[in-house]
Amino acid sequence: MSETEVRGSTVGEIPGRKRLVVIGVGAVFWTWLLARWAYHNTLLDRLFTALGFPDLIRSELGYRQQESWIPAAPFEAVAEAILSAESAVGPLDFLIEWAAWPFELAAFATTTEPALASGAFITVYLTILSMLFGLVIAVPLSVARVYGGPVLSGISLVYTELIRGTPLLAQLFFLYFGLPLASFFNGFAFVGEGVVPRASILVAIIGFTINSSAYQSEYIRSALQSVDAGQLTAARSVGLSKLDGIRHVVLPQGLRFAIPGWTNEFVYLIKYSSLASFITVPELFRQARNIGSDTFAFTDIYVIAALFYLALVLTTALAMSKLESAVAIPGLGSSARRD
Amino acid sequence: MSLLRVENVDKSYGDEEVLHDVSFEMDRQDVEVIVGPSGSGKSTMLRCVNRLTEIDDGAIYLDDEEIHSIDENDLRRRVGMVFQDFNLFAHRTARGNVTLGLTEVLGLSKEEAQAKADDYLGRVGLAEQADSYPAELSGGQKQRVGIARALAMDPELILFDEPTSALDPELIGEVLEVMRDLAEGGMTMLCVTHEMGFARSAASTLTFLDEGRIVERGPPEQLFDTPEHDRTRQFLGELTDLH
Repeated sequence: MSETEVRGSTVGEIPGRKRLVVIGVGAVFWTWLLARWAYHNTLLDRLFTALGFPDLIRSELGYRQQESWIPAAPFEAVAEAILSAESAVGPLDFLIEWAAWPFELAAFATTTEPALASGAFITVYLTILSMLFGLVIAVPLSVARVYGGPVLSGISLVYTELIRGTPLLAQLFFLYFGLPLASFFNGFAFVGEGVVPRASILVAIIGFTINSSAYQSEYIRSALQSVDAGQLTAARSVGLSKLDGIRHVVLPQGLRFAIPGWTNEFVYLIKYSSLASFITVPELFRQARNIGSDTFAFTDIYVIAALFYLALVLTTALAMSKLESAVAIPGLGSSARRD
Repeated sequence: MSLLRVENVDKSYGDEEVLHDVSFEMDRQDVEVIVGPSGSGKSTMLRCVNRLTEIDDGAIYLDDEEIHSIDENDLRRRVGMVFQDFNLFAHRTARGNVTLGLTEVLGLSKEEAQAKADDYLGRVGLAEQADSYPAELSGGQKQRVGIARALAMDPELILFDEPTSALDPELIGEVLEVMRDLAEGGMTMLCVTHEMGFARSAASTLTFLDEGRIVERGPPEQLFDTPEHDRTRQFLGELTDLH
């Protein structure tokens, strides 16, 4: 199972000073992302307007009208300073150009700041909500698979294999165009208003929830199966029903065992969420592609988007390894289970 | 009136007959020890009593009620069980192992359950280990938690399924000591064990089971000293040499 790949050294175990750097960079990134989110949040705007600060939050501005907060000038200046050395080196000019490139990239990133933040934020909540809703479906699915009779475990198996056996993009298209959920959601006046996301995002959340529930249930199923069956027998021998035994004895252990695999699925979904761009969700990848179309700087903007995804993935890995150690129980888990 | 009455019980797994026409009775406060070679059906017999295994034919009565007329979970609350492999809940402390049944089955409040759990852990000599997780306990301590877990449910009868077989030799004594205390305290116990010392000193009745049939049954001294069957003499002799 893929658990073993995730085990071993993770971001959560980076030692000493390097750890501080990682945490520092992460703190800056997330502070910036949350501040940009707050800046165009309708509810916060209303709150601060009521408190007497009408211009603090500008939710009325779309991200295209928002100004950048980080100035491009310092990065451009550094890039130019480096490039000015070019003629002196002659044939090795390409090295100079490479050295200047990160600063050009940073300068470019600052000009696209509002759009990237808006896209990244959608990617974040799309993924988190889909993972959580998916978990709610995955737990009963996996319990049915392991402990259900032939009917329940059969239904669970068919669902899981159907979802895992078809392309995610096809599932999204089916929901968006085939059913079509998009026009269904657009029939409601509140969709796309206030804190309710637009129809395409709702469809994406449903699609990713269904898809990730199937994968999550596979991780959880194998984790449940690794809980020693004798413990359920013991729970039953003091008078607990089978369902109570599963709830109080098997699930608390199985879900802990499932965390590394679950993290894997989480990390996949962060990147797979870019498929939502095909059903018009303005998430991170779609924003990057739009910026690329406007500026023709496709390579640069995709590199910047890739760094964003990297930041999201590393944060998830860090958070999940924190969670794993926070809920760890002496002797239960990685080492004990392989005995 | 007997507390447990087993009448003509048959049990097969496929073509293999595990129990054949087994009948016996136990009164309250009896300590019944079942011995027999491996595969003789001892553990199956125990598991039939709390319906972890279902019998094919015959009947089992607990306090004159046929066990199949009692709600399964209720029956198991009334009949405790201690396992060879302890089967402790690995994610719960020693105290948590005892409280689960108290809160979920007996409906005690968290505080009541904890007080009762601590009381029973104290009785098996584990007051200090209440907050330890199973992985932090020795085999003997684990088994004593297993006994406290069964005992705290106030069962009418406790089944012991080879409670010392998975233990290192030096840890067997502490578990047997707890079992002896229970026997002296009047607990009704049905034990499958190879501990002949315990059988001789604590059992009120000894049953020799072989190939799913009761070969001989009686007071332990009778089976040890004047057995009717050569097979009994031979088996008990071998066990006594070993243990």
